[in-house]
Amino acid sequence: MEKRYFKKIAACTLALFMAISLVACGDSSSAGSGKEDTVKVGLLHSLTGSMAISEKSVRDAEVLAIEEINKAGGVLGKQIVYVEEDGASEPSTFATKAEKLVDSEKVATVFGCWTSSSRKAVKSIFEDYNALLWYPVQYEGMEDSDNIVYTGAAPNQQIVPAIEYLIAQGYKKFFLIGSDYVFPRTANMIINAQVKEAGCEVVGEEYADMDQTDFASIISKIESAKPDVIINTLNGTGNVSFFKQMSEKNYTSKDYMTMSFSIAEEEVATIGSSILKGHMVSWNYYQTTATEKNKEFVAAYKEKFGKDRVTSDPAEAAYDAVYLWKEVCEKAGSFEVDDVLGAVRSGEISYEAPEGTVVINGDNQHLAKTVRIGEIGEDGLITEIYATNAPVDPDPYLKNYDWAVKAGIQPLE
Amino acid sequence: MKKLKNQGSNICFLVIVILLALAPILAGAGIIKSTSMVLFLGKCIAFAIVAIGLDLIWGYTGILSLGHGLYFCLGGYAMAMYLKLQETQGGITDFMQVGGLTELPLIWRPFQNIFVSMLMVFVVPGAAAGIIGYFIFKSRVKGVYFSIISQALTWAAYSMFIALSPYTNGNVGITEIKSLFGSIKGSGNIDNMMKVFYLALLLLVLAYASSKYLVDSKFGKLLIAIRDGENRTYFSGYKVSKFKTFIYVISAVFAGVAGAVFVNFNGSITPSQMTISYSITMVIWVAVGGRGTIIGAIIGAFLINLCEYNLSSGSLVDIWQYIIGAIFCITILFFKGGIVGLVKERISKVDRKTD
Repeated sequence: MEKRYFKKIAACTLALFMAISLVACGDSSSAGSGKEDTVKVGLLHSLTGSMAISEKSVRDAEVLAIEEINKAGGVLGKQIVYVEEDGASEPSTFATKAEKLVDSEKVATVFGCWTSSSRKAVKSIFEDYNALLWYPVQYEGMEDSDNIVYTGAAPNQQIVPAIEYLIAQGYKKFFLIGSDYVFPRTANMIINAQVKEAGCEVVGEEYADMDQTDFASIISKIESAKPDVIINTLNGTGNVSFFKQMSEKNYTSKDYMTMSFSIAEEEVATIGSSILKGHMVSWNYYQTTATEKNKEFVAAYKEKFGKDRVTSDPAEAAYDAVYLWKEVCEKAGSFEVDDVLGAVRSGEISYEAPEGTVVINGDNQHLAKTVRIGEIGEDGLITEIYATNAPVDPDPYLKNYDWAVKAGIQPLE
Repeated sequence: MKKLKNQGSNICFLVIVILLALAPILAGAGIIKSTSMVLFLGKCIAFAIVAIGLDLIWGYTGILSLGHGLYFCLGGYAMAMYLKLQETQGGITDFMQVGGLTELPLIWRPFQNIFVSMLMVFVVPGAAAGIIGYFIFKSRVKGVYFSIISQALTWAAYSMFIALSPYTNGNVGITEIKSLFGSIKGSGNIDNMMKVFYLALLLLVLAYASSKYLVDSKFGKLLIAIRDGENRTYFSGYKVSKFKTFIYVISAVFAGVAGAVFVNFNGSITPSQMTISYSITMVIWVAVGGRGTIIGAIIGAFLINLCEYNLSSGSLVDIWQYIIGAIFCITILFFKGGIVGLVKERISKVDRKTD
């Protein structure tokens, strides 16, 4: 008798859940639409799955920017309403959700993606529907879609200047280590060409699986190659294992200096600043970047999301993306994608960002950004040790670098 | 009433097909506002086809494969390679260039031809499953050991696809491709979308009809015999391993076709469809819908995916996985026969009362 009772309750619960699930769409799509004084935008990030830990900080920065803009009166007199979709760390889900946002929800623009695979999966969708995506993360370049604005660094705004800096500092033997996917592969292809041109040497190139935890064999290869500096493009959990295992062997930055392209303040907190102390990174922005605007940004971020949260380059780039979209819409005087893209291509859009003034390049839709080499400190923050005098113009295909042209690093026409 | 019981699953399938067939018409006439929903339903059709395949081996034959993502991807990549070469007009792709290749690799050459490519959609997963199945079933590996091997093989293939990035584009996969009939996205391409959608629907009907035919035949009874008493079937003189290999190959071909359908709607394929977790998700569709019924697999695939589609956005975005998880748990704990099992139970109760 009792079992039957349980079963009935279970059946009811099941039916209830299913009903919620199937009805939920109606409620999300009706919210905010049809109102005259609002404009709808989409946020497309992984809120579940392996990328959630990284993408949440980016999503938070976007939400912060949207709320600030709303408080200050909105865009073109309209309040921003955002629709969130979960990409679930899965490129095909990103594709499905991107389609849903631009076609069903009819959002004015989408801020989203982190991994290159998710961006590649949605790229053709934004092109086919003639919609607009703001992509806030540094990446491997070799791309300029008409329907994407890239607010993170292109390779010549992160990788190339970092290698230039190292060569100028007298480092001669480079060891390349990265996770096995498109960003490290492309980055290393660029670095190989650049290092060769400067008369220096790459003494090893190793790739680890995305979730590899054992780096013993790679570390022994490093030991026998005796590099001056290790160029690290590992991503995610690989970094934790690699640096922990290096420190277990009592190697510090004095024994093997590393230059990392995927370690920002968030990752430093996960890996541990005592291990990373003295190592170098390359970004366009640090929490410590000394601008008035950054003080406000960091204070607002910490106030909204908690004192122990840190800001990072991708979060800042995402924050910029929302403000840049506002600037673009105000210049275009409209939310229509064609008008907005026209304003983007004028090349006259700039914004006083926490990292300094950023300008959208009208040709390739990337930002001109200042490059900053940083050193990780014991307190977990990164301090700038070198910065370019002026913002570096974006060059996603490295067309203006002779050694890159010579090495054939151009994509197909 | 009796008739309803026997024809229940066919009637149910008919209703699903009619509903699906109406979707693009409604979208074309502007009654459904967005074509993206139709494209999503197209993906669900692909999921339903792979779920049917899984039901054949798990529900009927008792082989629990936790690695069907592999065959899904093999079919998907075969289709994607053909479509990608359509984009590049037979030339090399950008990722090959980054990988240091100067001409189209040998393995890509056959995919310049549409007929060979379509054949590959069937042959590659079928052959892979044939070889794997032959050796595993011949050595009488079964039960949980088979599940573990299927997982390990999928994992190995996944690592291989990542490592061979000049040929497969690593974890980005093959992206920026259109469908067999050209672009299907946006309001200007509704005709193409309809073609692809009805082709997919036709494949679903074929998959359903052929599986129904299989399981209702003597062969189907034998599959159930293998599930319920493998040793007894051996001792009755049947070569169990051959039957198992055969149904495993059929199931893999279904998965391959599903992958090919999926690529047409998704516009890309990545190795993440090949992961173990994705393969297990496929098994969950079958479990929730009700295994050993064919129609259950279809219902499960549609329901779970529609739930995920609707839940993982808007106000429930932070908790949607808990809700989906709760649905799984309740089904597994209380309704071993899944949704179809629950309905069947109800019907037979009503039946008894009316008798």
